[in-house]
Amino acid sequence: MAFVKVVRRSMRPEEWTDLRYGWIKRALVKDRFEITGLEVRDAHQIAENQYIYDNDYRPLKQGDVYFTPDGSVFIRGSAKIPEELAGQKTYFMLHTAAEMLVKINGRYAGGIDPNRDRLPLAPFVREDGSFDLEIEAFNRSKPDDERNPDAMSSRGCRQIFTGAWIVTLREDLLKLFYDLTILLDIAKSDEFDEDYRTFLNRELNAALNLVDFDTWDGVDAALDYIEKHIYQNTDFRSSGNVALVGHSHLDLAYYWRRIHVVQKNARTVLIQMRLMDEYPDFHYAHTQPYAYELLKEYYPDLFDELKEKVKSGQFEPVGAMYVEPDCNLPSAESLIRQCLYGQQFYRREFGITVDSAWLPDVFGNSWILPQILKKSGVNYFVSNKMSTWNDTNRFPHNNFLWKGIDGSRIYACVPPTHFITWNMPSQIMENWNAYQDKETGGQTLSMFGYGDGGSGATEEMIEMMHRFDKLSVMPKTEHMRADEFLHRNFDGNRNLATWDGELYLEMHRGTFTTKSVLKAFNRRLEFKLRTAELLSVLRMKKGISYPYDVLTWAWKKLLLNQFHDILPGSHINPVFEDAVRDYEKVESVLDALIAGQTVSIPDHETDVPYLHDAFHFADGLDETGRRHAAPAAPSDLKPAARKSVRLFNPLNKARTGVTFIEDEEGDCIREGKAGYFARAALAPLSAGDVTLSASADTSWIRSSSASEGICVETPYYRATLNPDGSFASLFDRKLSREWTDGGFNKLHIYQDVPGMYDAWDILPNYKEVEYNWTVTEPLHATHCTGTVAEFTVKLATPSGSPWTMIIRFFRESPAIEVEHITDWNEKHRLVKASYGINALSRELVCDTSAGYIRRETHRNTTWQQARFEVCHHKWADFAEKDGGVALINEGKYGLGVEENGYSLSLLRSNIRPDVLSDIGHHDFCCLIVPHEGDHVDAHINDLAFEYNVPPVRTDAADVPELFSGCTFEPLYLESVKLSEDREHIVFRLSEQNGTRGQMKLPCTVTLTNMLEDPEGETDTLSWTPFEIITFEVPVGKI
Amino acid sequence: MEEYIRSTLSQKIRGDGGWVEFVSFDGKTLTLLFRAECSKCIILDRCEKWIHDEILRDLGQDVEVRGIRKKPFFWDTVV
Repeated sequence: MAFVKVVRRSMRPEEWTDLRYGWIKRALVKDRFEITGLEVRDAHQIAENQYIYDNDYRPLKQGDVYFTPDGSVFIRGSAKIPEELAGQKTYFMLHTAAEMLVKINGRYAGGIDPNRDRLPLAPFVREDGSFDLEIEAFNRSKPDDERNPDAMSSRGCRQIFTGAWIVTLREDLLKLFYDLTILLDIAKSDEFDEDYRTFLNRELNAALNLVDFDTWDGVDAALDYIEKHIYQNTDFRSSGNVALVGHSHLDLAYYWRRIHVVQKNARTVLIQMRLMDEYPDFHYAHTQPYAYELLKEYYPDLFDELKEKVKSGQFEPVGAMYVEPDCNLPSAESLIRQCLYGQQFYRREFGITVDSAWLPDVFGNSWILPQILKKSGVNYFVSNKMSTWNDTNRFPHNNFLWKGIDGSRIYACVPPTHFITWNMPSQIMENWNAYQDKETGGQTLSMFGYGDGGSGATEEMIEMMHRFDKLSVMPKTEHMRADEFLHRNFDGNRNLATWDGELYLEMHRGTFTTKSVLKAFNRRLEFKLRTAELLSVLRMKKGISYPYDVLTWAWKKLLLNQFHDILPGSHINPVFEDAVRDYEKVESVLDALIAGQTVSIPDHETDVPYLHDAFHFADGLDETGRRHAAPAAPSDLKPAARKSVRLFNPLNKARTGVTFIEDEEGDCIREGKAGYFARAALAPLSAGDVTLSASADTSWIRSSSASEGICVETPYYRATLNPDGSFASLFDRKLSREWTDGGFNKLHIYQDVPGMYDAWDILPNYKEVEYNWTVTEPLHATHCTGTVAEFTVKLATPSGSPWTMIIRFFRESPAIEVEHITDWNEKHRLVKASYGINALSRELVCDTSAGYIRRETHRNTTWQQARFEVCHHKWADFAEKDGGVALINEGKYGLGVEENGYSLSLLRSNIRPDVLSDIGHHDFCCLIVPHEGDHVDAHINDLAFEYNVPPVRTDAADVPELFSGCTFEPLYLESVKLSEDREHIVFRLSEQNGTRGQMKLPCTVTLTNMLEDPEGETDTLSWTPFEIITFEVPVGKI
Repeated sequence: MEEYIRSTLSQKIRGDGGWVEFVSFDGKTLTLLFRAECSKCIILDRCEKWIHDEILRDLGQDVEVRGIRKKPFFWDTVV
């Protein structure tokens, strides 16, 4: 007998309830009067609060199309509340997918956006009910934000104006609407008990049966029924204790440029402050001092109001860092400055030191963070992604202690659910159900408020919150400030578990590599800032004033661009262009400062994007969209036979390696610039003369072609190079050992199709589809001097992108440099250089910028399997006790973890959010360093500093001594700067090899935290592994 | 026309996460390729009308705008 599935086609009771709920939603407005006579004009934003107006004001009426792509509009008009509405609560109403700041009679009345369409009029109208209306409107909702169906239905660059209205509401019906919203959410959620949901469906139907949907009689009876039969029912029980914190996530750049965040931020703050006016018990937590700075500069009235609400405790500044930065890529000093400049703002403007790091959306967190945060006045760390986004393992804690690389412990909260919720019972119950520290952690944290582009909490979220206590099936909930949640649940809690290690996010592994140009800029400028500050301090000894304002400006630009959707590369094309423009300005200022020139802060200029064109990109335009000059061929160079240059070594360690010194007469081309390779033996923090020699004596190297490739013999190696530039053999003459095991310096091009999170992710299966390179010019010797020998291979991808690799052997260094040059025009490809190393090790040692981290290379458990791609800083090393091979880079961060080595991620080419991502000209180098002993014995960290911090040309016969010639070895001099009070010189030292020690100083110094607060005095420094120490001395004492 | 699309209109569309590229223009019909967020825009017809109006105003040409959507593979199922 055939099986016939019974399908119910008649309307279910739940559908009948939903239908009536929809009717109630549509009937909330009681009276409406259209505001006519409105006018609108179009504009385009060209900088923070600077516009080009496209036209003059024109009439705006229902049905008109308004907004243009990337456009803003300004709307104005006047109206009067009709006399028939006298005595009633009236609202201004406008439904739109755009984002609007609404001024009534010159005062900021509120915000309108996809999440809210009305605001109360009474506080702002004149006595006679008349008012003038001014609206600044921006149509930049995140286009693919699918959280709010109302926003989805009207998204797009061109909106249809549906009218502006003065309305009154059916206030009793509004109460019923909120009751139904909360109860229907429970009725539809699997998070709640099935029996209770059956009960709810039955009782809601009964309540709605009391309402006449034509006359709206019976609403009070329905409210009463719900009160007595649902809210007062205690037959059903639940457990749990959830803290509810109002918050709005605000990406400073993402699907919008940072110039647009001025309004997004102002709108968000305004909306939350108006909610505070309406609901005195409402608290809201807002992050990022940069966002507060924007408000102060461009909306001073709102900022003044905000300050009052900070004082009253309703508005809560959280997050000590200047922005919410990526927490994998920035160096230790950058993360310290994020805290320093962030806390400086909070202290200056609000008189508070914020004790939380609020980083809900960052893509994993470096092991160096706990120490930096603790020494910057931060006791609590909050970050959501590890709990909700890991693709392999469930992170085992939510409320715990995080132990950092140096042993510092910080209270850490990784909330169980997303940082953007709309405070629905189902979301709160999901949070409690997912909470893993129920026995030890106290309350769990649930953030509520729309976000990504700001917006925040809504009236509905607060109204629902007021009903939670009436429901026996809800966990206990408490709305509170973020600091109240943190203090109450963490302080003195001895039951918390400890997580010792990095907070690795098992997702978004591509962000270590995407937008290669930004990564290289960030690294270079971090070190140029260090050099510029150091030289500025030294010049103070010659009576030259310290350029405090310029350096602070430069730091803040760098810090802003470390935001977690800028530096990681997850943004639209104009954001990339803005970042490159910022970097270029900063670099130009720093170069001038380093050269001893007087520099002022660049004027505000219009941030009109460069003109990029995907199809001309590989045709002479560099990554910034500018035309680049073709580098001279080595054969064109006419080097001077021998010359000497005076160089200053900004490092507090003696330089020992071969360095490339730019010089127009140089005998080599590196990264498009002429110069010499020379052994610049310079003492720490000292100047010296370095001889640049164009010796033609090439007797130090021998090479010969063989059937299997090219055989090369140098003072250090006997190497056999394959035609594609990979090493078939690298035999170490001193150690008598072979270094290669499989592909070594082998380029791979893989299919890279991670799906929706195109810019963010590299998937575990990325190696499944690999493509072949075409060798267009096999490896051959191209240039040889008395210092360096170059071998060049030209390759091409299957799509035709040319790729040149230059391998450099040196006469006076065992390091081998590899330069990669490409005009990259690919889609969904990942290029890696793999290094199979003949060593037996189960660990890969990676630089964190303030010490090293060991990562297991085996795949025994899912935890190791998930860490197939990790973030490192200047170097990685795969070694046995007796030796290994390190790889030093100058701006690469992504590293594949392999059983017998590693693979450096060089370039990607994703198309979302930026279809042009990474397309263009690239030229970058890395350094292969085979070595004896482990990475500490071999001074790999010092070599990496040398590689990233070039010596500085100077004309001065003597550079002044720093601090009586103290070089602080073996510590790394992280920073020397003028203190923020401008009365001291601040020194920051970092132990990076995992050792303890002690050092006598030339005089007594004041120890400080990273905020430069005094913490004691000493003339002897003691340190423990990976400790970062800050102290200061009066300006006159250096 | 190609230069106008590239240097003027496409710049504005990029600001909202969209992307437009010139394909062809035969004197009457202007064919454009819409990528990125534009490729799944549910009101692209309004944008095409805007492009028409901008060209009429700036270049004095009354063209028919024909848009082609090019969705990335991971949006192939998105309507």
